Formats: sequence, C-alpha cells, structure tokens
Amino acid sequence: MPEAGAPEPIARLIQEFSKLPGIGPKSAQRLAYHVLRAPEDDARALARALTDVKEHVVLCDTCFNITVRNPCTLCDDEQRDRSLVCVVEQPLDVLVVERTGGFRGLYHVFHGSLNPIDGVGPEQLRIQELLRRVEGGGVVEVIMATNPSLEGEATSMYVQRLLQPLGIRVTRLARGLPSGADIEYMDDLTLSRALEGRQEL
Amino acid sequence: MAARPRVYRAEGVILRRRNLGEADSILTVFSGNEGKFEAIARGVRKARSRMRGHLEPLTRSRVLVAQGRNLDVFTQAETVDAYRRLRENLDASAEALYCLELVDRFTVEREPLPDLYALLVTALDLLEEGNGAAVTRHFELRLLALLGYEPHIDGCVLCGERLPEEETLLSPAAGGLVCRRCRAEAGGGRIVAVPVVKLMRFARRATAAEFVALAAPPEVAQELRAAVADLVRYHLDRDPNARRFVEGVSALERKD
Repeated sequence: MPEAGAPEPIARLIQEFSKLPGIGPKSAQRLAYHVLRAPEDDARALARALTDVKEHVVLCDTCFNITVRNPCTLCDDEQRDRSLVCVVEQPLDVLVVERTGGFRGLYHVFHGSLNPIDGVGPEQLRIQELLRRVEGGGVVEVIMATNPSLEGEATSMYVQRLLQPLGIRVTRLARGLPSGADIEYMDDLTLSRALEGRQEL
Repeated sequence: MAARPRVYRAEGVILRRRNLGEADSILTVFSGNEGKFEAIARGVRKARSRMRGHLEPLTRSRVLVAQGRNLDVFTQAETVDAYRRLRENLDASAEALYCLELVDRFTVEREPLPDLYALLVTALDLLEEGNGAAVTRHFELRLLALLGYEPHIDGCVLCGERLPEEETLLSPAAGGLVCRRCRAEAGGGRIVAVPVVKLMRFARRATAAEFVALAAPPEVAQELRAAVADLVRYHLDRDPNARRFVEGVSALERKD
C-alpha cells in the first residue's frame, strides 16, 4: 500500500476498511483517521461488534436464515402458519417480506440463485434442504419469492419441477408495475405480465 | 480498428450480467455490428431504473452506448424480444443459457460476427417456439463451422481416403473423421454411428428450422450430443458450465 508516512497500524486499518463494499482508498483513509480520533470505548465497541457478528451469528438449521439462536425466532414462533414456506434468495429478503406484514408463514433462504453460466448449480444452494423439509410433511404451499430475473426464474422453475412429484402447491410472486414507475419506460415482459394480471377496480 | 463514434448503436443479445458497486451492472452483449462487448449499466439495479428490464440476460435489445474512459456506458435500451415463452420453460431456458455461454466463450471482444449473431437469434427464436435440444445441436455445429473449427467429415481427415458406410472414429484432435487404418495416429476420439455422421452432414446445409424438423431418434440425438460435446470441449479446453445444468434439468424430467 502506498500510504507513505502512515504508521503501520493505521495503514493496516485503512487497508481493511478499503475491502468494504463502496469504500475507496480515500473513504478508507477518512474512516481510519476517524477511528483514531474517536474515544477508545467507541473503537472497542466497533471491534467487538465486528467479532461478535462472526462468532454469534449462525444459520438456522431449518430455514437457513441468519440468526443468533437456532432454531431462529421465526421458525420457533408457534403463531406462524407452518403449512406455508416462502423461499427467498437472500437473508435480507426475509426482512423485506416481513416488513410488509402480510405474510405469516415460514421462510427458506437459498443463499443465491441458479446461475448456470457462472457455474452456480442446485448443489450450491439450499435446495436439497428445502426438498427434505417439504418431504418431512406439513407443508402445503411453497411460495417462490426469488428475484424476477433470469436466474431467479430459473431457480423457481427448477424448484417447481423438483417438488412437483410431491404434490405440493408451488406458487410464485405476481409480476407487475413497481410503484412510482413510468409505463413509457416499462419493459415488454413486465408490462405483458401486468396486463395479464390486471384486476377489477 | 476504425474509431467508433462517441455514441454508438448496437442490437444484440445480453449474454451475462455481473454486478458492480451498489446499483450498477456490467453487461456483456453479443451484437451483430459490434461483436461482443461489455458496458456499464448505471443504476440498473434500482427499482425505478428505466433500462432494467431491457438489459436482462437473454434479452434481445437495441441499445445506445456512449464511450467511456474505461468501460462504455449504456445510455438507452429498448427490448426487441424478451423471449418470454422461452424464459417460462425450464428446458428451453437451459438450452438457451448454454448457447449464450458458448458464444461468450468462443468469441473475443469487438470482433463483428454478423453470421454468428444471426445464428444465435435464429436459435433463440426456435427455442421460443417450443423446440428443444436439436436447436442447440445445430447451433453448436454451425458455430464451430463459422469460427473455423468445422470437423472434416467427408473422408478421412488424415489420409483423405473415402470412408465406407460404417461406424467411424470422430477425433477432435485430428479434426474430423478418421478411417480404420489411420486410427492409431488420430490422438483419441469417439466411435460414432452412421446416422450421427449423416446428421452432422445434414447440419452443414440445413437451416436450423430444417434440422429441428428432422426429429432424429432419441438414441441418435443422444450420441450426436456426446460427439459434439467432445468437439466443443476440445476447442474450449473445458466443458461449458451450463452443460451440467442442461443435463440436471433433463434428468429431473426423466424421473417423473
């Protein structure tokens, strides 16, 4: 690192910060010097938060969401509908679906989507785990909430074919116009699906 | 190479996408006029992006691209064909992804290959119409031919001798069919049946639609698939990633 003059510990901190997404060398420098000037307690709290996140956060054995207890609070919640499983690509997607408040079932996190060209196949995702979970019984419907992208759709169709022999209902989220969008700029695929899924006013 | 204008147009198929930073993507496009190229789509991962849906992989789009210092930047995009039915069919999607990967692996950037582009669009159109793996076989064979890797199948590639109508060695290393006497020098290969050779010959003169309409028996199609896979593997020095997916998907189907 050409941080000429910066003492070694600071240079190391700058280098670590610059590994973070969206942080360039300049921002990394600013952050490092901010930490240097900050009260010692703040710095310790940051360090502890960083190590805790790696030490205490695990994947739930049932839904593979990130959690501090296993099974996670969602899977453990007796109030939730155990016959519904919503499949999402990323842990963050669980939070987003939860925020809508409209879903009271359980989740299953794949940790990615099928990307055949980049070599991401079914075995790299938590697909077999979903199959076993559904085979375990009690699940009536699997809702595929994967991204409406080529990869997400391929993932959904793959799961549909995989679960078909079990007689499970496999659904996917509707596709339509996002709030605040312009019809003028809408792509044909979205618009034609939105047209099909039109609803009575 | 002649300087491109600062802003240029292209019509092409989006081959792949990789994410860049918070909201941008780098897309690889295979176009008729510019060949394969990469450009940045800014803000395309935001919900309100105007270009998002038009720049999905496996979409045929017309784009306007501005030259940038490092990478060029998409400024406008409009769908020509989103291949909707294809996308909603798992088998067709797998075949199409495999074709896209082949194009990506076999081409270099900024080399216009209008014939290959036309071939790709025809293949995608046929998959969209509900055709299956035969589309890919024709595509693979014609792609190899267009890029100069066409196997010699009119006689023995080593001695030029006419071949009797019997099963023959197809040797990717030798570059085609090899007669019995030359087998030792061929550097390995696969014995292929007569119908497979005939299909390969037919693919040379048939359009994709004609080839697909022929509907070869499953065991012949299977053998042709393996033979062409050998050729592709030899020239790429690897198997395309998407091949495993194509096989995985069809294996699922056979189970039920």
